[in-house]
Amino acid sequence: MANRFQLPNLGIGLGLRTKHYSTILEHKPAVDWFEILSENYLRTEGRPLDFLDQIAESYPVVMHGVSLSIGSSDPLDWQYLRELKALRDRTKARWVSDHLCWTGVAGKNSHDLLPMPYTEEALAHVTERVCAVQDFLGAPLALENPSSYAEFAADTMREWEFLGRLAEQADCALLLDVNNVFVSSRNHGFDPLTYLNALPIERVVQFHVAGHTEHGTHIIDSHIGPVIDAVWQLLAAAHRRSSGVPVLLEWDAEIPSFEETHAEALRAREFIGAAG
Amino acid sequence: MKREATQDALGVHERASATPERAASAQRLAFGHAPTWTEGELGLREQQQWFLAIVSTPQDEPAPVDARSAPRLIAPSATLGSLERIEIYRRGYHARLIECLADDYPVLQHALGEEAFEALSRRYVARHPSHAPSLNYFGQHMAEFCRSERPVAEEPGFAADLAALEWAIVLSIHAPTAVAIGFEDLGQVPSERFPSARFRLNPSLQILRLRYPANAYLQAYRQGKPIAWPAARETNVAVYRTGRSVWRLELEPAMLTLVESLGSGATLETALAQLQASLHGESEQQLAEKIQHCFQHSVASGLFSGIFI
Repeated sequence: MANRFQLPNLGIGLGLRTKHYSTILEHKPAVDWFEILSENYLRTEGRPLDFLDQIAESYPVVMHGVSLSIGSSDPLDWQYLRELKALRDRTKARWVSDHLCWTGVAGKNSHDLLPMPYTEEALAHVTERVCAVQDFLGAPLALENPSSYAEFAADTMREWEFLGRLAEQADCALLLDVNNVFVSSRNHGFDPLTYLNALPIERVVQFHVAGHTEHGTHIIDSHIGPVIDAVWQLLAAAHRRSSGVPVLLEWDAEIPSFEETHAEALRAREFIGAAG
Repeated sequence: MKREATQDALGVHERASATPERAASAQRLAFGHAPTWTEGELGLREQQQWFLAIVSTPQDEPAPVDARSAPRLIAPSATLGSLERIEIYRRGYHARLIECLADDYPVLQHALGEEAFEALSRRYVARHPSHAPSLNYFGQHMAEFCRSERPVAEEPGFAADLAALEWAIVLSIHAPTAVAIGFEDLGQVPSERFPSARFRLNPSLQILRLRYPANAYLQAYRQGKPIAWPAARETNVAVYRTGRSVWRLELEPAMLTLVESLGSGATLETALAQLQASLHGESEQQLAEKIQHCFQHSVASGLFSGIFI
């Protein structure tokens, strides 16, 4: 309970993926916790929820969303938020997270995590919306730093400054994805440690690690393959600054067996210590 | 009338925060339309409208910004120009949505071939952009789209029927889960109450009236024995779920009559009378056997989830 929000250190978790449902339900492997993709269980009354209910009975879960669109200039989608809250209550999710991004505008959803302009206008806009969402949820929202491939010409600050100021002003939690820091540092040309050291670590309630794909001129946050050593080293650096934050592996393409995926997640112990 | 299990996907689109790694499209990338945005600084709303307008423009069409104006929106990096940076998002946008359609329509993709399916999907993405937070229903217009787009010259109706069948599978996955009634439940009903009994259909049940034998095609594909595009032949297919299993059941006309009668709220007595009236030219014994078979088979298949007496 070392973070500002007294949220628990759940240990080392895995992103729940359909490919692993049967293994999890049949063998009940020892996993500290699962992160679910919120939208996969919205707008359904059927089988996805059947699976999720069973898994949430046996494991702690955390909800990770991709359609909150907290940075959009469209109004907040209150129907979506009501559904999100209902899912949170149904699964007893320990917390709810999403990304510092926007996913659409004028009612259209790109289903992508689009980059924010880092301007004073955008900061004021997002701060107000994070406050509104937290009031509605009655709990802190954890915002994740995104991977990005483009920066707006109008930017007046770097992402870490924007995120840090947002967290302080809105009093929200942070989900620090060290792979995203690595990807964006290469795409935009900054020192990842500058980013890590600038964030208010007491607000970080969760770490993400993942694989990515090198394209020479840029890196894509593909969540393919094992985590590279440089990203593990960033996790170690961030973890040293914290008082113990849960770690989660995301693996979303060419997903291997449950055992292999879990083994990759557990490599985190080498970098943060067995206690997690 | 053997029901067939559908080895469908597990019913959710893995909509993660990852950027899809799809092979670069053979589509020509075109930019060139001069922007019509006003002079001066762009506010958040304008920035987002322009960004999404570029990202969602089909990849074979000119995006609404040119190389000279793009730096007003996006700064270049040390290795990529402004348009090239936006293009990463543009590629990802289309790849993600096309993958979603391929997840929902694997057999249609097989039937059309990957290239034709991708071309159809690109047009679909342009025509039916997502307005929902979830991708679960993104593919809902495909059957209708196949009818209007005619993705193939021959038998265009078959593609639409196949899409309708695959979409019914998706819908059954997301329909409420219900426990099917069985013969033991019927055994609880006093015999004198049977005529007035009414039945509730399984809430996931959809009955498709198809002009082509799309179910036979789908089954052959699933069994690894792909067949040629079939000629027109009317079939009725029930698609539904019991527990975690999705089923496809071809309904003979008699069984269709019975299920539809009971589904419309008719009592068992009325439904059986309607069924009897629809059967012609059979002996009394054949008639009785057929009616009994239809009723028992529809119960055994899990088409009903409740009985009211």
